[in-house]
Amino acid sequence: MNAAFWILSAITVIGAVLAVTLRNLVHCVLSLILFFLGIAAHYFLLRADFIGAVQILIYIGAVAVLILFAIMLTHNVTGTEGPREVLGGKWWSGLATAGILGVVIWWAIYKDQIAAALPSNQKAQSSVLEIGRALMSEWVVPFEIMAVLLTAALIGAVVIALEEVMRRR
Amino acid sequence: MSIPLGHYLVLSGLLFVIGLCGALTRKNAIIVLIAIEIMFNAGILNLIVFWHYKEFAVLTAQMFTIFAISIAAAESAIGLALVIAIYRHYKSVDVDEMQSLKG
Amino acid sequence: METVYQLVAQCFAGKPAWLPLAIAIAVPILFIVAVFPGIFAYTTLVERKALGRVQNRYGPNRVGRWGILQPIADGVKILLKEDIVPRRADKFVHFLGPVSAVIPPLLLFSVVPVGPGLVPVNLNIGILFAFAVSTASVLALFMGGWASRNKFSLLGAMRAVAQVVSYEVPMVVAAVAVVMAAGSLATLDIVQAQGGGFLHVTNWFVLRPWGFVGFILFAIGAMAESGRTPFDIPEGESEIVAGYHTEYSGFKFALFQMGEYLATIAMAGITVTMFLGGYLGPGCDLPYVGVLISMFWFFVKLGAMICLNIWVRGTWPRLRVDQLMGFAWKILLPMSLINIVAVGLWHYMASKPLAWIVTAVWLLGWFMFLSKLNETEAIGKRTYRYAS
Repeated sequence: MNAAFWILSAITVIGAVLAVTLRNLVHCVLSLILFFLGIAAHYFLLRADFIGAVQILIYIGAVAVLILFAIMLTHNVTGTEGPREVLGGKWWSGLATAGILGVVIWWAIYKDQIAAALPSNQKAQSSVLEIGRALMSEWVVPFEIMAVLLTAALIGAVVIALEEVMRRR
Repeated sequence: MSIPLGHYLVLSGLLFVIGLCGALTRKNAIIVLIAIEIMFNAGILNLIVFWHYKEFAVLTAQMFTIFAISIAAAESAIGLALVIAIYRHYKSVDVDEMQSLKG
Repeated sequence: METVYQLVAQCFAGKPAWLPLAIAIAVPILFIVAVFPGIFAYTTLVERKALGRVQNRYGPNRVGRWGILQPIADGVKILLKEDIVPRRADKFVHFLGPVSAVIPPLLLFSVVPVGPGLVPVNLNIGILFAFAVSTASVLALFMGGWASRNKFSLLGAMRAVAQVVSYEVPMVVAAVAVVMAAGSLATLDIVQAQGGGFLHVTNWFVLRPWGFVGFILFAIGAMAESGRTPFDIPEGESEIVAGYHTEYSGFKFALFQMGEYLATIAMAGITVTMFLGGYLGPGCDLPYVGVLISMFWFFVKLGAMICLNIWVRGTWPRLRVDQLMGFAWKILLPMSLINIVAVGLWHYMASKPLAWIVTAVWLLGWFMFLSKLNETEAIGKRTYRYAS
């Protein structure tokens, strides 16, 4: 079990590092998919089955495909640029900021004794039945608001990306 | 499984910092959106980690995660639609060139 | 897998602890790897002969009597072909495309029960896992089309992805109706919720009004997912050369075909599990021979679904892209949502005959309304203009 954690963490971190480092955009998206798979595997390891399946369904099935479509529609894939063309201006300040934040996070984790806690109850497992019941009884208002939000996002994305065609006509 | 909580927190912190590096460093707007997705996932992983380690019986963390994943997906859809619209106008997805607010 | 584990753990009581586990993992994997590609090979032969008969010709009948050895000949031929990769193609993604076309169907087989208790992995989110994995098969289309650096391939890939993503939605929503009726996402529970009728047949979900509509919606969605006619815009064949697998040759092309057929068989397996009663049939609860009879019934039903797929392929013409999208979003998706309401009505009605009548009227009424709403103009009499 511990070995599973280390292997999956290695896969996830490698996927994330490659996703922000590679020059060819399609390769970046493929390593992002590896990252999503690693996170989904972590969810399964943490006994949250439903969330793991939802992660695969939504992120790999929808968000990755969306990013690939956006890459196709903006024609900007090539992998032959050098580091000067890939990094934005003042990239060192971005790295410094991220480094400082990393140090702060490290300090916050190891400040108290919480970091040594072990898992509390290893037998219980979440069930989809309870999640469904909770979504319909206690959490029904956020659920409906989420439905409205997703509809608004759908219509908004279509309107934003459609503008040029309508104006040309 | 006997992984201390700190290891999971370090993992999600590391993923967050990697995403932040990518978002602040790269020039291509789509890679910035990819890095934002990485940051989102790192944060959501924290919720499930704390659910597993502390409050196994309560479902609040899973509800929060479902809603957070949905919102992340909606946000990435809108972000990518914006990138496509900007590409049509500026003919490039370089964040350094998008400097004026005039349409 | 658990039944295998228990059987093996009894035999190997004194041996090391990992041995029963290893055998319990290896046996289902070997079963899937040996049986389903074998079914794939002979499905290609049956399809070619059936399509030939529909088109008033014999299918392949040269290699062995009735063409029995044709799949083996095809396999040997394809393995010996030269593997051409376009010069400017993205080699890594070009390689990954066919591989990721085969992986999702193989993963789908792991939640299909072939007998009582005989499912490789008994997840309690079985159906959700099946849909998550079938969603991931979209990437193979995209990678195949992109890596070839060919405008036709890219166009084919975009249309294929749009088609697959559009037809997933009514398919999943139609399956939600089944999950509501069975009360669980685990495939074994869904099959067991269909048991107990007369001869174990009358309780199948396909014999209910909402189940019948759900079956049609799911079967159409499954045909569109794997890219079969009448939804084979991705393959093109006389439209856009060969779509997203234009630039593939040799074994990679064979892997794409294998992925498509395995997806058809896997989706047929899931349809059988959800609507046609899985492994249930007359005589499936006899003491010892019942297991074999259940497996027999499962494979008979799987064969029937595959033959339905082949029949539809030989008979119906291809849909145009805009017709395809309109069909998915304007007719199938509303019908699937209405189907969910029908399942709810069925569940909460007091008496059975009333439930039948109300559900059937609800579904029929909405279907006629939707088809009225989506009517295109009737094609009038042709008028000809001659040059004079």
